[in-house]
Amino acid sequence: MIIDEFIAKIEGHGALDIDWANKKARLRILEGERLFEGILVNRPAEEAPWITSRICGVCPIAHNLASVKAAEAALGIVPNKTTILLRKLMMASQIIQSHVLHAFFLASPDYLGIDSGIELAKKNPEIFKTAINLKGIGDEISLAVAGRSVLPTTTTIGGFHKIPAKKTLTELSGKLEKNLNYAIAAAKIFAKLNYPQYNIELEFISQTDKKNYPGYESEIIISSQKDDSAIEDYKNDIQEEVRLDSTAKFGRYHEKAIMVGALARLATHHDYLDPVCRKYLRATNFNNPFHNNLAQAIEILHFYKKAQEIVGILLREKLDPTVAVPSANPPLKGIGAVEAPRGGLYHEIHLNDKGKITFINIITPTVQNLPSMEKSAQAILDQSPKISLAEARKLIEMLIRAYDPCITCAVH
Amino acid sequence: MTNDKKLKLGLFDFTDCEGCQVELVGLKEKLLALSERVDIVNWRLGQAKAQWEQFDIALIEGTPLTPGEIDLLKIIREKSRLLVGLGTCATLGGIPAILDKEERQQWYNKIYGPEYEGRGVDALPLSAYVKIDFLIHGCPISGNEAARIFSDLINGKKLNYKDYSVCFECKLANLPCRLLEKKPCLGPIAQGACGAICLKGGSACYGCFGIKEGANVGALLTILNKFASEEEIENYFSMFHNKSKLYDHR
Repeated sequence: MIIDEFIAKIEGHGALDIDWANKKARLRILEGERLFEGILVNRPAEEAPWITSRICGVCPIAHNLASVKAAEAALGIVPNKTTILLRKLMMASQIIQSHVLHAFFLASPDYLGIDSGIELAKKNPEIFKTAINLKGIGDEISLAVAGRSVLPTTTTIGGFHKIPAKKTLTELSGKLEKNLNYAIAAAKIFAKLNYPQYNIELEFISQTDKKNYPGYESEIIISSQKDDSAIEDYKNDIQEEVRLDSTAKFGRYHEKAIMVGALARLATHHDYLDPVCRKYLRATNFNNPFHNNLAQAIEILHFYKKAQEIVGILLREKLDPTVAVPSANPPLKGIGAVEAPRGGLYHEIHLNDKGKITFINIITPTVQNLPSMEKSAQAILDQSPKISLAEARKLIEMLIRAYDPCITCAVH
Repeated sequence: MTNDKKLKLGLFDFTDCEGCQVELVGLKEKLLALSERVDIVNWRLGQAKAQWEQFDIALIEGTPLTPGEIDLLKIIREKSRLLVGLGTCATLGGIPAILDKEERQQWYNKIYGPEYEGRGVDALPLSAYVKIDFLIHGCPISGNEAARIFSDLINGKKLNYKDYSVCFECKLANLPCRLLEKKPCLGPIAQGACGAICLKGGSACYGCFGIKEGANVGALLTILNKFASEEEIENYFSMFHNKSKLYDHR
């Protein structure tokens, strides 16, 4: 059957080809091309965040805010402090939602010897309870701030159509306080799982503002090998290769296969983590890509604490619902960069003087991770001379899941 | 555990954002309760186990964009007693359907380069290729409305839509009327059950739940034409209805 070649339990459709005689692994991406970069041309700028959030149902907030930031840069808009805080809160909920969905429901069954997230309910009820409580909290923050748990309804270029009432934030604060133990449990659970032990040389890159753990604010791209670059040059620094047998491009940073996402952020920014996360760092091996799932659990805890902190600030301060307006003579070209759950995301938007989109370019985290996935898959084949083809396939599919690829994003 | 008396359910995804499946996972305990009443024999996103015999119910998310997906849709149809579309990509073509078939080649050239051969044929609803038994609309679906329909489906009840439009739900929520504020809105003709969630957030209604049966599209167009340009109206209708039948009515 055609569909059976698709790797199960990843977002979107991809296949793994293993040339067993030559011990080579290769990925083929098979998701249909929706052509978002064509869909948006000639449509008004304000539709960009609405439409791009529909690139991915797992990280819609990241796309929504990347487009908002790109359009604001193009229009010379400076959003107010309340807006920035609410967006950071949205990003925290986005990371929690996406990581919980992936790490618990799709990846953890690999390490627990079961098939599906639903089986957790009977076979690992404590883990299941942790997962659904955290998913619930992530969804509630999104609902309160973004208007819906999955695709945002409240956001707009310049600010928010609607901001949450203090009463809603007070309720949210209470719920966050009450459920903190589940976020701690997430880090504990993933610190104790049995990951395949591999040592693979990985180079990590992450967006950063050099002041905070990466998320909403990004100024430069930093690398674990001190090979930094400016975000304005993202298109030159991240080169996308087109392969004729793949609907997704393969992105390399300065011609190297690099890893982006939770493990990359943790490797480059562990000093900025919430102190409560630090003890779980000891369990993290930055040469083992399977530990990306542990890094995701540590980030769940970090962003949970971050969400609590932001809600606290919002409750203390006077909220400003004003939507910021375009400046005179704006550049009409802008880049919006955010650290999405899976890594650095770039939206570039060009507008004409009527506010219509003339050009949009999107580089997603998974595109950047694809060459690294192949490199790590190759390392597994090279480092495991005695395994069978079936074992190799199972292990490499696990590896691909550990990277948390989002093929729907990668193709877009 | 396989129970022969349980209905065999397959959940499939074609090209899309998978957000409707995320909405389903968001049902948490409710999803677990529903899942215990069926035997999920095939669900690529959720499990590795995959059977390919008969399905009592096949749920399909996404638009069948590639030739492989179109073939697979036909195969699933043959194997399924009931075929249900899940989410607007499956039911109306969704966001990918904003692009017309003849526009695709120029974008393959621009995005991938001239040597690349695009896989996608045209973003169309499932109904363009096979008979569909029921459509669960929404971009994304409403988890609670989907749960209500699943429950009826499992119990063998006749499936139906709520007998009201988004406009009705918007009024129930006491929201200011966009049309009175001279902002386009498809709420009066849009099938309800979403709880007017986009309008509650301050966004427009583009009618992602489909056009309500018997809706007076002409009357809405008369109102829209009083304050909105043709292009603006076109943008609203093309968001989710570029390939749906409604488009032909205009």
